[in-house]
Amino acid sequence: MKISRNWLQTYFDTPLPDARELSDALTFHTFEIESIEDDVLDVKVTPNRGHDCLSHRGIAKELSAILELPMKNDSLRVPLPALPEGVAMEIESPARAPVGAVAYVRGVKIGASPMWLKERLESIGQRSINNVVDATNYVMFDIGMPTHAFSADTFKDGGIVRYGIRCSKKSEKLALLGGTAIELSGDEAVIVNASDEAVDIGGVKGGMRAELQENTTEVLLSASKFEPVQTRRAAQRFNQRTEAAKRFENEMSDELAVYGVRAVADLVQKIAGGEIVGYGIVKSRSSADRTVSVSLAKINTVLGTRLEEKNVADVLKRLDLQFKCNEMSSHCIFDVEVPFERMDITIPEDLIEEIGRIIGYDSSPAVELPVFRGTVEINENFYASEKVREDLISGGYSEVFTSVFADKGERAVLNKVGGERPFLRSTLIDGLKDALEKNTHNKDLLGLEGVKLFEIGTVWSDGKEIIMVGTVSEKERATEKPLEEYLSNDVSCMQYDDLPFSAAMRYQSFSKYPYIVRDIAMWVPTGTGADEVLEIIKQNAGELLVRSSLFDRFEKGGKTSLAFRLVFQSFGKTLTDEDVNQVMSKVYAVLMAQGFEIR
Amino acid sequence: MIARGHIHPISSLIREANAIFYRMGFSYVEGPLLEDEWHNFDALNVPKDHPARDMQDTFFIKDEEGKMLRTHTSPVQIRYMESQIKKGIQPPYRVIVPGKVFRNEATDMTHEAEFFQIEGLAVGEDITLAHLKGTLEKFFKEIFRGASVDIRFRPSFFPFTEPSVEVDMRITGVNAPEKLRDKWIEIMGAGMVHPQVLKNVGIDAQKYRGFAFGMGLDRLALLRWGIDDIRLIHSADLRFINQF
Repeated sequence: MKISRNWLQTYFDTPLPDARELSDALTFHTFEIESIEDDVLDVKVTPNRGHDCLSHRGIAKELSAILELPMKNDSLRVPLPALPEGVAMEIESPARAPVGAVAYVRGVKIGASPMWLKERLESIGQRSINNVVDATNYVMFDIGMPTHAFSADTFKDGGIVRYGIRCSKKSEKLALLGGTAIELSGDEAVIVNASDEAVDIGGVKGGMRAELQENTTEVLLSASKFEPVQTRRAAQRFNQRTEAAKRFENEMSDELAVYGVRAVADLVQKIAGGEIVGYGIVKSRSSADRTVSVSLAKINTVLGTRLEEKNVADVLKRLDLQFKCNEMSSHCIFDVEVPFERMDITIPEDLIEEIGRIIGYDSSPAVELPVFRGTVEINENFYASEKVREDLISGGYSEVFTSVFADKGERAVLNKVGGERPFLRSTLIDGLKDALEKNTHNKDLLGLEGVKLFEIGTVWSDGKEIIMVGTVSEKERATEKPLEEYLSNDVSCMQYDDLPFSAAMRYQSFSKYPYIVRDIAMWVPTGTGADEVLEIIKQNAGELLVRSSLFDRFEKGGKTSLAFRLVFQSFGKTLTDEDVNQVMSKVYAVLMAQGFEIR
Repeated sequence: MIARGHIHPISSLIREANAIFYRMGFSYVEGPLLEDEWHNFDALNVPKDHPARDMQDTFFIKDEEGKMLRTHTSPVQIRYMESQIKKGIQPPYRVIVPGKVFRNEATDMTHEAEFFQIEGLAVGEDITLAHLKGTLEKFFKEIFRGASVDIRFRPSFFPFTEPSVEVDMRITGVNAPEKLRDKWIEIMGAGMVHPQVLKNVGIDAQKYRGFAFGMGLDRLALLRWGIDDIRLIHSADLRFINQF
């Protein structure tokens, strides 16, 4: 979520450190930061903290704990006054909408937003629309509660304002804001007006039927809370992954809906005028206070630390978590009253994470594991595959991994990006054949007499998942055999062999351009070493020569014939014959000057 | 004499990782690539229809309800613990799980739809987050032969661990590859096994605790040898493989 430093500042009297420092504080204690642009942080809020941290208030709370800066105001810690009634509400299925919350405001004047509001929204990449819509968005990005503004007209039924939430009817039609017309499935929650017409997909997006007009003066501000799973499905069904849907699918606490409706009504009144006639609030369940307890001993045994009571107490205070320290005989237990918005804290381990991360994991010690008391088992398949691997490598085969996806097979995946090769392979053979063909072209470049490949990999055949060992070379057809056939009979005394690791130090990237091969043969006086000649060739051929080797040698009449294969390749372009001819002329000249006779 | 062929760098890394972890008491275990929802998600405390499932884009199998290509090696943790409990063997457990995993995403220089991971799990009465740090430090020191390696934890979230951490490493000293020297690099996710995961396989979560980690082997290979494109690992191209 985009978080503006200026917006955060509204929660603190003390000037906040710069964005870079805020980023570090969050990175090492709460969330990763995807990017920083000017004074805006893109914070990667984890799914467990979607309840409270998809909001500036939630991030401010974190920074308050990390940086030990007191917050000057926290709207979620202010007790709510009784809200006057003014809307008749009917919630058909409380499971779909655990809280109905709406405010009826009369006499508003829709117009441009004040500058501060425009700037805030624009700083986090939102477009300012008008004062009322901006107020609803502001509340969502400020405290995390999605809210929506309707024109009140169609909700009025004589002197009564009626707002309802029910399940949609199959094939019911709804035109969404922006114009997309959809047909409801009968499975999503909808907000309905006084005539029982759907005006909004609950938790996802509003409809045109109750859209605000320039001359609207009466508005209904809705902050009802919708159930996460249904909302998520509805958002997916209609491809409307809105900011609201994102928050509902992460679920927020029931209480937040009530704070949300109050906040949006107050803000609308402040910037668009009018009078709050009253609210409609229906909570289908009462939320019990939650207490989670953890002992100091448990904290230390999970984290491997030696924290003292005062260290833990300090962190809990910084996080604004109220607690009682329950001194029982020898160990101290913290009974923590969990605030309503922290739905992520339910078990002792959750509190341990709070302690660990706020103190900072950099101070957590590193300790080696004690000696293992059990038996370390030998894995039969791995044992067998290591043996096969070593045998094949000794026999000149090199190991490849080819894709498990194929264009035919017994099973297919449903949803492959791009849709190509959706089948799970039933054999290694096709992959190995392709690999052979691809590598054969590079034989000279690789300096290989022949290409020999193997793969140990999984296939799906005859309804089973099997590990196969497959081989292929230019001289033999591709074949495969189940790894099972290589399993050792004597499992009891198996030990992993001490096999060599790759000795490679650094990988050298290779040229993507084609190469050119030239052979050169010459007579040299007997006694002249091939190495000596090769050295002369290398020195004069320059950097285009990427591989060179002796491939033939014989003696006749007191002279020795040497033949070398030279491979040329450039990192920057496709070489032409002309390029290589130039190099070869130089090599010929030098060799002739040595008195060698080019054949 | 026939010239030796070449080991794939991933196989070499697995061989080396197994040798290092074997000495620390970890057994090599494996599991199927085609998984069910219970092992890949539910038992790992990833609820249905939860945004946490979006963290891993899954290949589902056509016409086989609830079957998928595993998105991580973690389901093998579940399979291993289930089978131990079934045999009546209580912790301590220490296992590593190297193997192929799948994510349904577009591929580029740093992303592959199929790649390799290595999972580690240690369960016992006395396992702490400090042991996780100690174990990883030892592993990285050995795998980056001779260079000094620092480890650092950052808070993170995985449904199957609590607390959860992201692990960064930094290679220092003259033996460090120049491109990596003194830079913090994100290398894996880890944490203390969520008590619900232990309960799901029938282990007494009051008595036992554990740590778990999962790391991309392709990425480790990239760092270890300075490989510039992850796709080379799956290319079956000997211009690449024959360097190892």
